[in-house]
Amino acid sequence: MDIPYTVHARPDTGLYNAKIGVWLFLASEVMLFGGLFSAYIFLRVGADYPWPVHDLDVTLGFINTVVLIASSVTVVMAWAMLKLRKFGWYRINMAITVLCAGVFMFNKTLEYKAKFAHYAVKLSDGTFLTGHLPHGYQVKFGDVTEFAITIPVKNSAVTADPVGYVLPYIEESTAPKFKTEDGKEVTLDKATFAELSAAALKKAEAEKKSAGTFKLTATAPLKFAAKPSEIFGYTDTSITFRDGTTATGKLIDDKMTLEVDGIDARGVAQPDNSLAFDHRYLPDWQKAFVANREHHLAEFEKNYPTRDKARSATLQKESLYFKLHSATPPAEGAAHGEGAKHGAEAHSPTPHGAEHGEAHHPTVILEKKDITFFSNFTPKLNTYYAIYFTLTGLHGAHVVIGALVLAYFLVFDNKRLKHDPEHLANRVEVGGLFWHFVDLVWIFLFPLLYLL
Amino acid sequence: MADNVEAIQKSIKWYFIIGALLILFSGLTVGLSYVELPTHSLNIIVGMILATIKAALVALIFMHLSHERPLIYKVLAFTVVFVLALFLLFVFSHGDPLEFEGMYLHNE
Repeated sequence: MDIPYTVHARPDTGLYNAKIGVWLFLASEVMLFGGLFSAYIFLRVGADYPWPVHDLDVTLGFINTVVLIASSVTVVMAWAMLKLRKFGWYRINMAITVLCAGVFMFNKTLEYKAKFAHYAVKLSDGTFLTGHLPHGYQVKFGDVTEFAITIPVKNSAVTADPVGYVLPYIEESTAPKFKTEDGKEVTLDKATFAELSAAALKKAEAEKKSAGTFKLTATAPLKFAAKPSEIFGYTDTSITFRDGTTATGKLIDDKMTLEVDGIDARGVAQPDNSLAFDHRYLPDWQKAFVANREHHLAEFEKNYPTRDKARSATLQKESLYFKLHSATPPAEGAAHGEGAKHGAEAHSPTPHGAEHGEAHHPTVILEKKDITFFSNFTPKLNTYYAIYFTLTGLHGAHVVIGALVLAYFLVFDNKRLKHDPEHLANRVEVGGLFWHFVDLVWIFLFPLLYLL
Repeated sequence: MADNVEAIQKSIKWYFIIGALLILFSGLTVGLSYVELPTHSLNIIVGMILATIKAALVALIFMHLSHERPLIYKVLAFTVVFVLALFLLFVFSHGDPLEFEGMYLHNE
């Protein structure tokens, strides 16, 4: 069946079908991204913390901007070359467009990976320490022998599942053995556990209790290591897992080793006395922090004598969000905090033991009681990263889909290229329109998220 | 309509010129974002004006909107109206906050 107006325009509208279709689709896409930009405005205006400005990698973002602009030129060139029947140039331009999409997504991957590996830790006084966790962060529990298992009689969201929620965090290499209350030795797997819980439930129903309970004792003391998010909670002598199972033992270590690259004292009443400069953490950096603050305040005073310091978010950030570029504080009178050369501080001793190789940042060992909250730079941290990942993620998905469509035309539509190039030109034009829309979204995204 | 060969030949030069202009404007936006204007809102306004100019160049020349058919313009007119309404919704809700017994829940 021959569908009319796929190649030549309808006489009344002057348009071929796909053109109307794609513009209608783009209209809906405008509403989609408009809604998300609206969300950005709400979140920014309503934020109760300093909205990050220039916190993202501007260079990488600018490279991506240039790459997308170049691809916008090549995709419209591909259409033009096709209309002029210059098939070689058509192919080259389409290939460059798809390549640019690949480069864009590769850069995006680098950006995202950096965010996943970078952490912000909020201390109890409101200071944020930013940096990396060279050994991850796990709570270590030892001497664990007794386990209390609880299985509710009624269907419940939380019901014991030690195979899924307890066993994975045991540090022993061999499968641990357990003794039941009647002395039987078992290896805990799904089948054994099903048997034991069935027996416990039967007993509970007979005794008209709301949950079946039983105890398991490990034949040898066990050691546990788990991230705080992987367990429910713990005290010095007990640990509760996410399925409700509790165990007695001893807390070995819950300190966090953080390689610090930034001290953000904007949320602290007295920044100079931030918990970051406690004798246990970074006391040597207090002088450098104060010097940096004084330096930026003085510069602001000099450049903008009539402006209100408290209303300049940039000044607040420059003077109170102190970036660390070396393992030890710079010598007084030397370059203020920023501008310290990388690589020149190889093998400098760090306050709590040197890392192997070059140390570019000091390491602190934070006590759990000083940590209110911590997260990597993902939506969990704050609403800025939530909207950043939502907007760039959805935009990235559009880049991938657009690239796939254009790649399809390039690779699989050769029959149409040979026999009906005008039809292919229309397809490429329509695919190009989607691509330009994707570029349009980035034109607004880049300044709003990276620059302003 | 850019359907004839000559018109397309002519526009090729413009595609590259506009491409270069877009990169230039992008660099300008980056540079200006580091210049601290009296209020940060001014920085945002300047950035958005530059972004709108870039968007207009892409829409009019790359997307051929400078010489499109009336039906497309009509579709886009609806879109503009709805997007404006979307952003106006924000303005209205920001100026009309929830109140509980005289306590304001929004940032003044």
